[in-house]
Amino acid sequence: MPTVKIDGIEVEVPAGTNMIEAARKVGIDIPHYCYHPHLSIAGNCRMCLVDVEAGGRGPDIACNMMARDGLAIRTDTPQVATMRRATMEFLLKNHPLDCPICDQSGECRLQDYYMEYGQYESRLSDPKVTKHKRVDIGDHLVLDAERCIACSRCVRFGDEITGTGELRLFNRTDHTEIGIFPGARIQHDYQGNLADICPVGAITNKDFRFTKRVWYLKETDAVCTECATGCNVRVCHQQGQVFRLLPRRNDAVNKSWMCDHGRQAFEAITGLDRLLRARVQGQPADLDDAVAAAATLLREAGGGVAVVLGHSASNEANWALLKLTRDNLPNATVYAVAGNDPGAWDRSDDFLMDADKNANSAGIAALMAHDPAIRDRSDLVQALADGDVDVMLVLGDDVLGRLGADGAGVRVIHVGSFRCTTSDAATVVLPAAHPYEQDATWTNRDRRVQRGRRAIHPAGDSEPAWALMERLGAALGKAPGATSAAAAFKSLASSVESFSGMTYQSLGNGGAVLASPPSPPTDDEDALETIHA
Amino acid sequence: MDVPKPRILTRRWGLEGSHTLAVARKHGAYESLRKALTMEPSAITQVVKDSGLRGRGGAGFPTGVKWGFVPPPEKRGDKPVYLICNADESEPGTFKDRYCIWNDPHALIEGCLIAAWAIGAKTAYIYLRGEFKFVKDRLDAALAEAREAGLVGRNILGTGIDIDVWTHLGAGAYICGEETALLSSLEGGRGQPKLKPPFPAVEGAWRCPTIVNNVETLQVVPWLIEHGAAAYRAIGTEKSPGTKLFSCSGHIRRPGVYELPLGYPMIELLNDECGGLHDGRTLKAVIPGGSSVPVMTPDEVARATMDYESINEVAGSYLGSGGFIVMDDRTDLVAALANLLRFYAHESCGQCSPCREGTGWMHSILQRLAAGEATEFDIATLRDVANNIHSRTICFFGASAAMPVQSFLKKFPEEFFGRAGVDVPDDWQPRAASAK
Repeated sequence: MPTVKIDGIEVEVPAGTNMIEAARKVGIDIPHYCYHPHLSIAGNCRMCLVDVEAGGRGPDIACNMMARDGLAIRTDTPQVATMRRATMEFLLKNHPLDCPICDQSGECRLQDYYMEYGQYESRLSDPKVTKHKRVDIGDHLVLDAERCIACSRCVRFGDEITGTGELRLFNRTDHTEIGIFPGARIQHDYQGNLADICPVGAITNKDFRFTKRVWYLKETDAVCTECATGCNVRVCHQQGQVFRLLPRRNDAVNKSWMCDHGRQAFEAITGLDRLLRARVQGQPADLDDAVAAAATLLREAGGGVAVVLGHSASNEANWALLKLTRDNLPNATVYAVAGNDPGAWDRSDDFLMDADKNANSAGIAALMAHDPAIRDRSDLVQALADGDVDVMLVLGDDVLGRLGADGAGVRVIHVGSFRCTTSDAATVVLPAAHPYEQDATWTNRDRRVQRGRRAIHPAGDSEPAWALMERLGAALGKAPGATSAAAAFKSLASSVESFSGMTYQSLGNGGAVLASPPSPPTDDEDALETIHA
Repeated sequence: MDVPKPRILTRRWGLEGSHTLAVARKHGAYESLRKALTMEPSAITQVVKDSGLRGRGGAGFPTGVKWGFVPPPEKRGDKPVYLICNADESEPGTFKDRYCIWNDPHALIEGCLIAAWAIGAKTAYIYLRGEFKFVKDRLDAALAEAREAGLVGRNILGTGIDIDVWTHLGAGAYICGEETALLSSLEGGRGQPKLKPPFPAVEGAWRCPTIVNNVETLQVVPWLIEHGAAAYRAIGTEKSPGTKLFSCSGHIRRPGVYELPLGYPMIELLNDECGGLHDGRTLKAVIPGGSSVPVMTPDEVARATMDYESINEVAGSYLGSGGFIVMDDRTDLVAALANLLRFYAHESCGQCSPCREGTGWMHSILQRLAAGEATEFDIATLRDVANNIHSRTICFFGASAAMPVQSFLKKFPEEFFGRAGVDVPDDWQPRAASAK
C-alpha cells in the first residue's frame, strides 16, 4: 500500500485511493462538489485543487490524484485558499442566491464552503444568466437549473447507477445547464438519491420540499425494514414527527443509495392503518387488560397453541417470543411463515429492492437453525386444516393473509403495527411500535445484523414488540428477560450460536454478519468417505 | 532573408490538379508509403524521433516520442490502436490545415497510412471541423481514388497490410480540436475534454490506445521517409527542426499561408513574405501563434524568430499553430480583445467551473470596457478572473482564453486604463495574486 503525505501527515492507503479519501483518513476535509465516492470521477468543479509538494506537478485536483509512493500534497497553503475562493466566486457568478426560499439551505455546500472561502465583497456587476426553473423531471423531483453548478453528479448517477440516462448537460459556456430530454421523465425507483447527491438546491425532493427547514431536524441512524436488503438510513425528525429519510452510507449494503419506496415508508407511521390502541374482542382496551386477556387465551387454550414468529419483526422480538413460548407454553408449536403479506409493495430488482419484503428473514432462518422444533409454513397449513389450532399468537406478519386462511375457529392474538387480515380477525390486538420508534436489530439478506435506533416515541399506546413480549411473558408466569433492547439482544447472542459474541457495541453503525452455522452432521457414509478422501 | 526555403509541405501546391491521384503520384505521392511498408514500424518511429519533428497543432510536443507512448502489443492485449488526424482547425487566425488538405489531400492520406503502420493501427480517422464540409468532399474524393488504386484499405500495394482511413465531420465546436474532446465527439458523445490521466496514447478512442496528430504533422511524415531524418534536421534550428506553415492575417499586404524554415526572423516574415503593413501605418501588436497565445509588442517582434524557443524567450509567448495575426496602429486593442473573448465565451464547453463562468465574465467586462462603461476596478477584476482560470481547468482551453487577457493587460495597460478614463496606476501588477 502506498504512503502519501497530506499537510505533512503521512498516511498509508490502498492503491487506487484518491487524495480526497486519503485526506479524510487523517481528518483533513478537502472541499468538493463533483466528486462522489460511488460515482466515476468527473473533475469538473475544481473545488478540490491542492498544491503538490512532491511526486507530481500542481496545483491539481485531489479527486483525480491517486495515491502513489512519494506523493505529498498541501491543502493549507495561501494558494490553496486563494484557489478555493476563486472557484467559489465562479460558482456563484450566475447562482441566483435564493437561499431564503431554497430547500437546500442549511445543507448546501455552496453555503458551507462560502463561510470558509467566500469573497464576501461581491464584484459581480453583470446580469446573471437565466435558466429553466421549476422543471418537473420526475414524480419525486423538481429541477431548478439556475441553482445548478453543473457538477454532473446526477448525470453520472443516471448513467452509472440506474443506467437510465435521462439527464444531460445541455448548451455550452455559462449557458450550460442540466436538463432532461424533451418528453422524457425520470421514472426509476431511485429518484430521491438524485436530490441527495445534488450538492446544491438544483434537484430537490417534491415529497420533502417546503415541509421543514433542515436545521430543525434531528437525525437518527436506523435501518429500512421495507425489504430484506436493509438499507441503512437516517431518520430526520422533529418533535416526534418524521419528515424524511436519507440513505446512510454503508458500502457493504446500500452504498449511498436507497429506493423511493423505502424513503417514503415512514409515512405509514402516521397512516390510517396504524394500530395505536390495544383491542380485545374488537373493542379498544387498555394495554394491560389486553395483555392479560392474551395471557388468559394462551393459558386456557382448549386445543393446540400456534406461535408464529415474525419475518418482519426484529431479532429481539422474535427471540423474546421464542423464549417466552419455550418457558411458559411447553405444548405450543412454533411456526415461521415465509412469504410476503398480501398488499405488500411488489416492485423488486437486482439492485436494492429485494423480492422478499420481510426485513428479518435471515434472522428467522438463524432461529430455525438454532431451534429445529420450529415448523414451517406447510406445517401450519396442515395444522389449521386439521383443526389442531385453537389459539394462534402472531408476531407482526399478516399470517392469515399469507396463508389465504380466514381463521375461522381460531382465536388470534396479533402483535403488530399495522391493520391487516390477521389483526381484523384477532381476538386480542397488541399495538407494536414502528421500526423507527424502537431500538432493535434486523438481519438482512446477506445475513448482516444491523442496528436501528429509536428516532421518535412510539405512537399511541404502542410499544416495541420485544417489550410487549416481556409483558406477555410476565403475565404468563416467566418473562423472557427483555427488559431493554440491549438485554434482549444479549440474551439472544448468548443463546443462539450464529449471534454468538455480538453486542450492540460490536455491531456499530455498519452491522456484522452472522457466523455460518456448522454444516449439518451427515450419516451418509459415502459422503463422509468422499470428504475424508 | 537569404536562407534556403525548402518546400516540404507545399511541394505539390500550385500544380494543376494537385489534389488528384494522377498528378500527386506523378510528383512522388505514395512512394514513401511503398518504402515505409517494407520497414519495421519501430524503424519509422525512430526516423520521426530522429528528425525532431514537433507537433504542429500548437503544443509542439515531439511527434516520435508521442508515438512511442503506445503500449507494446503484449501490454495492450487485444485492444486495437487508433490513429486520429486532428483536422478540427478552429483556432482564430489559423487556416493552414484546410490548405494542406485542399491542395494536397494525398499527402495527408499517405501520412496517415505511414503513421498508422508505425504505431500498429489498422484504422485511421480524420476528424474535420463541421465547417469543412467542402474540404471533406475533396478529401473523400481523394480517398476514393486511393482506395480504388489499392492504396487504402485491404492489402495495400500488395503487401498484405490492411489500413483503412475514414473521414468524420464534427459539429463545429472549437473545443473538439482539443484531443480528448475530439475523442469524445468521435465516440458520439458531447464534445467535452476528458480528465488526464489516462492519456490517449494509453486510453483514448473507445478506451483503446490512440495517437492524435495534426494534419501538418502527418503531412511531413512521407517527406521524412523519403529524405531521412538528417535532411530534416538540416533545416530550421537545433530544437525546432524543419519547416512550418504560417497562416498570416491582419493588417498586412499579402495575407496567406507561407512555408518557412523554423527560426526565420519574425520581422522578415512580416516585411517580406507578408508584404509589410499598409502605407502610413505602424505596427502595434502581433499575435504570433493563433489567438490563444500571448500578444507581442513591436519591439519583441523585431527580436524574435519564428520557432518554439525564441518566441517564448523574447516575449513569453508561443509559436502555437503558427497563426500570425498582425495589428497596426489603428487597432482598438480593447475592442480586439473583447472580440477575441466573444469567441472564447461562446466556445467554452461549459464543463469545469472556472472556464464556464469565467470566459463569459471576462467577455462582459471587456464589452463594458470597450463601450467606456467600466472602471479601473473592473480591469483588476478582469486580471484576477484570467489568473484564476489559467491552469485551473481540465483542458488547455482555460489557459487559451486567459493568456490573451493576461498579455494584453500586461503589455498594453495604458489602452485599457485609458478606456476607463484613468492613468495606469503606479502600483499596477499585471500578475497580482489571483483572488482577493
